[in-house]
This record gives sequence, structure tokens and C-alpha cells, in this order.
Amino acid sequence: MTYIWYLIALVLLVIPFSAMVFLPINKSKPVLLGFFLIFIVFMYGPMMTMGVLSFQGPFGSMTLPAKDLGSLHWFTELRAESSLMVGVRDGITKSLWVSLVVAAITAVLSLSLGMAFRRQFRGGGILFYAILLSLMTPGLLLSLGLSFLLYYIGFNKGEGMLGYVPIIGVQAVWALPFGFLVMMSVFNRYDARAEEAARDLGASSFTTFREVTLPLIWTGVFGAGLFGFTLALNEFERTFLISGAINTLPLKLYIITSSSVLRPYVYSLGVVTIIISFLLIALFLIVSAITGRKKALAIEEDGSGVDDLPSMTAAAASGD
Amino acid sequence: MSDTGLVLKDVYRVFPGDITAVSDVNLEIENGEYIVFLGPSGCGKTTTLRLIGGHDDPSSGTITIDGELLNGVSPAQRPVTTVFQHYALFPHKSVLQNVEFGLKMQGMDKTAREQQATAAIELVGLSAMMHRKPRELSGGQQQRVALARVLVTRPKAILLDEPLGDLDRLLQMKMRVELRGLQRELGITFIHVTHNQEEALSMADRIVVMGDAIIQQVGTPTELARHPRNEFVAKFMGDNNVLHGTIESASGGNVVINTPHGKVEVPGSGTAGEKGSMAIRASAVNISTDAVPAVNGVRVRLDFVEYLGDSIKLHLDFNGEPFLAKVDEERFGEVQAYEGKEVTATWSVEDGHLLEQ
Amino acid sequence: MGGSSAVVATTGPRRSPLTTVAWILPGTIWLLLFLIAPLVMIILVSLWERTPVGFAAFSFSLDAYGRIFETSVFLDTLKNTIFRSLLVTALCILIGYPIAFYLARCVKTIKFQIALFIVVLAPFWVAYVVRIIAWLPVLGRQGVINYFLVEVLGVVDEPISALFYSTFAITLALVQLYVLFMVTPIFFQLATLDEAAIEAARDLGATPGKVFREVIFPLSLPGVLIGCIFVFVLVMGEFATVRIIGGGTIQSVGTLVNDYYTIPDLPAAAAAATMLVAVMTVGVAILLRFSKIREVV
Repeated sequence: MTYIWYLIALVLLVIPFSAMVFLPINKSKPVLLGFFLIFIVFMYGPMMTMGVLSFQGPFGSMTLPAKDLGSLHWFTELRAESSLMVGVRDGITKSLWVSLVVAAITAVLSLSLGMAFRRQFRGGGILFYAILLSLMTPGLLLSLGLSFLLYYIGFNKGEGMLGYVPIIGVQAVWALPFGFLVMMSVFNRYDARAEEAARDLGASSFTTFREVTLPLIWTGVFGAGLFGFTLALNEFERTFLISGAINTLPLKLYIITSSSVLRPYVYSLGVVTIIISFLLIALFLIVSAITGRKKALAIEEDGSGVDDLPSMTAAAASGD
Repeated sequence: MSDTGLVLKDVYRVFPGDITAVSDVNLEIENGEYIVFLGPSGCGKTTTLRLIGGHDDPSSGTITIDGELLNGVSPAQRPVTTVFQHYALFPHKSVLQNVEFGLKMQGMDKTAREQQATAAIELVGLSAMMHRKPRELSGGQQQRVALARVLVTRPKAILLDEPLGDLDRLLQMKMRVELRGLQRELGITFIHVTHNQEEALSMADRIVVMGDAIIQQVGTPTELARHPRNEFVAKFMGDNNVLHGTIESASGGNVVINTPHGKVEVPGSGTAGEKGSMAIRASAVNISTDAVPAVNGVRVRLDFVEYLGDSIKLHLDFNGEPFLAKVDEERFGEVQAYEGKEVTATWSVEDGHLLEQ
Repeated sequence: MGGSSAVVATTGPRRSPLTTVAWILPGTIWLLLFLIAPLVMIILVSLWERTPVGFAAFSFSLDAYGRIFETSVFLDTLKNTIFRSLLVTALCILIGYPIAFYLARCVKTIKFQIALFIVVLAPFWVAYVVRIIAWLPVLGRQGVINYFLVEVLGVVDEPISALFYSTFAITLALVQLYVLFMVTPIFFQLATLDEAAIEAARDLGATPGKVFREVIFPLSLPGVLIGCIFVFVLVMGEFATVRIIGGGTIQSVGTLVNDYYTIPDLPAAAAAATMLVAVMTVGVAILLRFSKIREVV
């Protein structure tokens, strides 16, 4: 029976793909646009359905058809004093704190690694691939390996403030490649002559970093931190085996789905996390739009001096 | 209208937003000619090339080659091929694969196309690099691959968009000679777009100067250098002084123009009282310490001296307006001029040139 | 990403070796502690002996591997997981490539392009568990799909119960979760393609199909490759999707690892995980090899 579904899916996919391969752009464009819209429905549809179902009345069910739409019952339910909801809210608080710390650490680590990679150094290639390795390591494996390590050193998982250390550590490792790539792209477009000028004028390397470099790249650092925050907020597999009693929101959600009888509060909780995530994206976009505009303005005012830049750099370099 | 060669008739190209990129272009190019489109950026020369190549369609007007209408024919079907700016080589294909690409697209079998591609590669002198990837070649070598890739399809005309733009100056000089030699050898029409006057003058059979979307002048390099038709061409071709004024009198095949710089006499005809402009080449200007003559002479101050190697270019100042003169070293020595000194610039009547208004 | 030339930005001012070390140190320590050490630990523990609650360090034996291969369960699951990963990777190419192509080559203005790309990418930021849960109302017995099939289209009389808790449901959810890892690298590759090379190919007589086969596809291959590595590796290590949507009836190596862990048989969990890493490494090596061959031809 399932094979029929695969067959239908395959046939549906062959149409846009062959349109893309064999038709000129002006003819394939409408086909691809249609496919793109279906894709958007595929990506957002489930979340939308979940969103609709979260607005059901008290007798709402987990599936369609929705009952008594337009109620905020399952959202107010999140504020109930039941042990379940207290746990959920506790999870949200913990998640936010952990994410905040992870954001700060990601920002600092990304900044320092970004700075490091501005010049070539021995072992740079290996370090680069190590950073990217974290992007490609399945979360469960990381969690498993770290739990072995903790067991080996006799660490009590999830106890006290110390219990947060591995959670924060592993989440920062997950966010690091994203933050690092943000910093790399920042430094790729970055003009180092301001720093050279500062050095020329007698600033120490620390002063140069504080007075010149940091003010120019802080939005990148902020972006890296925001990556850390969002990824940590939603992370679950990496912390799965090492969290002990510290249940962040995604962990709590997983535990709920795999144990208790599900009610639509799961959906309203999902909606809340989606809203938080999208707000964070919006924040990120606003910040980068503001800096983008500042740069555009600066270039406009600057006029046409661009052609002379290489010779200036050469002069600065030879004067060193 | 000729039915051989490439003919552009009443060609216009208007982009959305009423931006006219090419206007009223009429041009006949004979087979085997080396034509250079010359003009500042944004003058419509590249658009014209794209219209000929079929990468864009004219808003109105016709383009024909050997009497055959090209309008609406896809670039692939046209008997003209483009050597793109920055070469547009396929980075993942070897030199041989790049060159044989066009033949492969025509469905030619492997041995035949390899044979022809090899011959084309040999023609541009790259036999030793046949299996290299483009990134392993120098700029000049990439340029030759781009050329071979086009030659192998035996087009009636080859369109070259700033072909020497990516090369350093020495290599440019070398490639000018090579390109020209190759074109003579093959007898194919070359249509070459550039913004470099020197390049145009040294390579073209005929130059088409474009400016503000229209053809300003078509002519041989000598014609353009000696007889620019209007102020635009005179200024763009460089080293021309242009003087404006009112025609005072016309007699004996000459006119006298009254300019703020004094009276000038030039060959030509006109009506007294009308506006008149004339151009004088910097190299036809002589300098001396003599008194200023009644006509064709101005008192100028020497601003600075530019050594060009074989000659000396003098930047002169006439009441705040620039004036150019090109003299040989010997002459310069005789005048004993130094920067800041006042000298007299003169020229003979027949070197002056009346411009169209 | 990729080539070592892209590794270094070389935009920085000169600095002392000590400064370099200072910049590298925090990140390196972090990676060693929370990435490298855990991975090394997995391999080590798989070679150590089991104790009732964990493992005895440095007591080398291959017993853990013996235990996981005792029955055919592990091997069958491994085969299924590999098959599922390949299937999901293939589907992600089929879906992701046209989407990336549409974004990179059919959308005209850059502003619009960036906006659409953000819309496509946004779900990546939604909690992964939430995205899995969101499939519940769609694929369930009374889910949206069945609702349409029965009530609206009337093509089937009875709801298809096989939708949820089935391998198809898992495949669908996995594709939705990981397709962005395919779209993104292909999009960046296609967006930075040399437009003139495509125009030149057309000029030389290539049909749309030939332009795609001869120029566009080969040049976008590095993006496809990176996407394949991501999707294959991440789906191989999948656990939560299979557990939640499969409802405990369907296994993956990931769920097996978790099962061994809860027994607890930590060395067996480690052995299963090591096998997983081995398969992933081989898979990535084959993909990279494939790419080298393509580059030579």
C-alpha cells in the first residue's frame, strides 16, 4: 500500500524536475512557480494546521475537524497550576536562561575563531573542518558520547548549577558553525585598512580591536549570538541523554509526546515556540537591515574613491 | 541596400521605462571587415552588439546578414557568434572540451569534432594546453580559448565584447596584432566593442563611434583622427581642441570664426552670423615665443608637461580653459618653456577642421 | 564552504603568533571538550566491557559488537536506515533542486530573492520537536490527508490508517525536516553561477536541456554534493522523528542506540553508534570520491 504513495510522490516530483531540465526558463518558470507554492504548503502546512487546532475550545481534539474554533482555551491552559503545566513553564524558563548563556558563548567563540581565521595559521584547515564537523554530527551521537564522558568522570547529570555545563557546552558546539560562518562572511566583506591605520597611528593591538574592529563588526557578533540563542532554544537531541532532571522546553515536549495522552495544549505550546522563533528571525533581519542601510548610505556619500583603494593598501603595506 | 554583409537598418532598442539604449542605427558592414564599435560606457555599443548576436531583440528596425533577416532568430541559429567579455569559458571543461562544445551541440560525431577543435586550438597556438582547465591558463591564453571556441563553429561574423579588457597593457598590444592577423587570415567579419580609442585606431578597418545611443560617426581610423564630424567625436577621440564662436565671414573655401580665443580660420563653408565650432588636433598645434598672430593663434600659459616617450604633451591654460599641444622634444627644447611660462600656440589653416553643429 | 582556499579570509592585519593562539584557544578547547572527546568516547566505550550500570573503562573486549550482531535485528535495522537515508536524500534532491533553481534563476530581483529564501529557510528555526508534532494532525487517521481523501475527494471509503506510524509518514516528515539542508547549498551554487557561461553555451547552439546537462548541472554539483552529505548523515543519525511518528513500531539505528542506552547496555549503544559512524564515513567518502571522478571527466 505504501508503495503507491511513493509512486504518486515520485510522479509528482518528476514533472517540475523535467520541466527545469528540458524547458527554456520562460516556459519552465510557471511550472516551477507552481511547484514552489506546493513546496511552501508542504513546509508550512503542518504548522498551520497545528496553529488552527490550537485555537479550539475545551473539547478540541488532536485531529481535524476542529471543534469550537476561536477559543484561547488551550493557551490559558498553559497557565494552569497542574504539575504538568508547572513543569512546562519551568522548562520555558530554563530554556530561556540556557539559550541566553549559549548566545553569549556562541558570540564570543565565533568572534574569536572569526578573528583567528582572518590570517593563515598552521592547523587552520583541521580546525575549520572540526568546526564544520559539528554541523554534520547527528545530535544523538553527540549526546551519547558526552554522557559516556560524564559517566566516566563521575559527573552527576542535571544536578545543581553544574548540571547546566554540559547542556550549555553541547548546544554552543551546535551553534558554533553557524555563528562562525556569519563571522567569516562579515570578515570577507570587511576592510582591514581601518585597523592598519589605527596601528600606524600607534594603537596597540588590543586598543585597535576594542576601538576599531569591534565597533565595525558588532552586528555580526550579535547575529552569531542570535543564532546561538535560537538554536539552543530549539535544540533537543544533543541534550537528550545528558540533561538529567533539567528539562528544557523541547525535552519536555518530547517527553510529553512519548508518554502522556496528548491534548491540544501541545499545539498551543508549539505555536508559542514558533512565534518566539519567528520574532527572533525578525529581530535578526531588522538588525541586519539597519546595518545594511548604514553601509549603503556610507557608500553613497563616499562617491567614487573606490578605484584608488588598492594603491592605498599597497602604500600602507609598504610603509609598514 | 546591399544583400551581402551585415546590415542594420533603422534599429532602435528602447528598454522599459523609456530608456533608449540604441537609436536610429543604420550601418552596412561588408563581409571580411574589421569593425570596431567605440564609445564611452553606456553609449549603446554593447547593446548593439547584443542585438546583432541575438541576445536581445531590437524594438524596431531590421538586422540582416547576406540578405537573410536575423530578427527573432535565436542566438544559436544565427551565423554570428559572440566572444563574451571575461571570456565566459566553461570552468569545468578542458580547453578541448570548451572548444568542441559548439560542434557537439550541432551533433557532430566525436572524432570529427575533436579533429576540428584540435585544428582551431592549433590555430590560436595552444596545442600544448589542450587538456588543461581554464583556471590553469593565463588571461591571454583564456582569451585564445574563447576565440578558438567561436572560430570552430565557422560563423559569418564574430562579435567580440571588450576582448582585451581583462589583459594588462603589454599583452593587450600583443593581442591586438594577433587578433588582427587572425582576422586577415580567416577573412571573417570581426565586430569588436571597446571604449579604448587607441585600441580602435590600431585595429579597425572602420570605426563606429557611438555616443548617447546614436552613431556619431563611421569612418576609417585616419578619417576619425583627422576629420571628426562633431564635437562629441572630436572630444572623445582625444587630444583635440574644440573652439566655439560665431561665423564672421566665408570666402574662398574658408570660414573665419570669431571665438573668445580670437579669430580662427578653417577650411569649410558657412553663413555669416551663424554659430560655428572648429577642432584642432593637439599634434597640429605649434608653440613659440613669437607674438600672437591675427588668426589661428592664442596666448597660453604652460600648466604642466607630460612626457609620452616619443613626444611631449603640453597642457596649456587659456584664461582658465584647457588647451592641448603635442610637440617633439626638439621643438620643446627650442622654446625653452617651463611650467608657468606664457607661450604662443599657433596652427595652420588647413589643419583646422569645421565641426557639424 | 569546501576548498581550503575559502578557509582563510586573509583580511586581517599582521599579528604575533601569541595573538593567534589566543584567538584559537577558547574555540579549540570547546570543540575538543564537547565535540571531539564525545566522539572518541563512543568508539572507546564500544571496545570496553559492560557493567550493570555502565562500563568498565579500559577493559578491552569486542563483546559489545557480539551482542549487537547476536540477532539479525541490528543488521536489518541498519540496512533499513541506510535505505531510508538514501531514499530521503534522493527525494531531497528531486524536491530541493527545482526549488533552489526557481529561487536562484527564475526570481528576478535580488530583494525578492532574499525575501523568498528567508521564507523557505524560516522553518529551520522552529523547534525540531514542534515540527515533528505538527505532522500529527496531518498524517493521523483523522488527519488532513485522510479527511481530503474520504470527505472531499471520496477516492477511498475508509481512512487509510497506514498514513501515520508508517515508513511513508516517516519519510515524508524527514524530507520536510531536512530538505533545507539540500536547498541552501544548491541555491548558493546556482545563484553565483557565471551567467555569461550559460549565455555562451546558448550562443554555441545548446538547447535548454543541453545547457542544463552540460553547464548548469555540472557547475552546481558541489552544492548538490554538500547537500547530499548533510541529508544522508543527518538522516542516518535520526532518532526523534522515527520514534514520534513511527510510534515505537518502526526502528532506526538511532532508536536502537537509545534502546541499548536505556537497558542500560552502554557498550552496545556505543557499538551501534560506532557502526553508524562507520557507515556515515563510508557514505561521505563515496560521495566525495564520486565528486572527484566527476571533476576529472
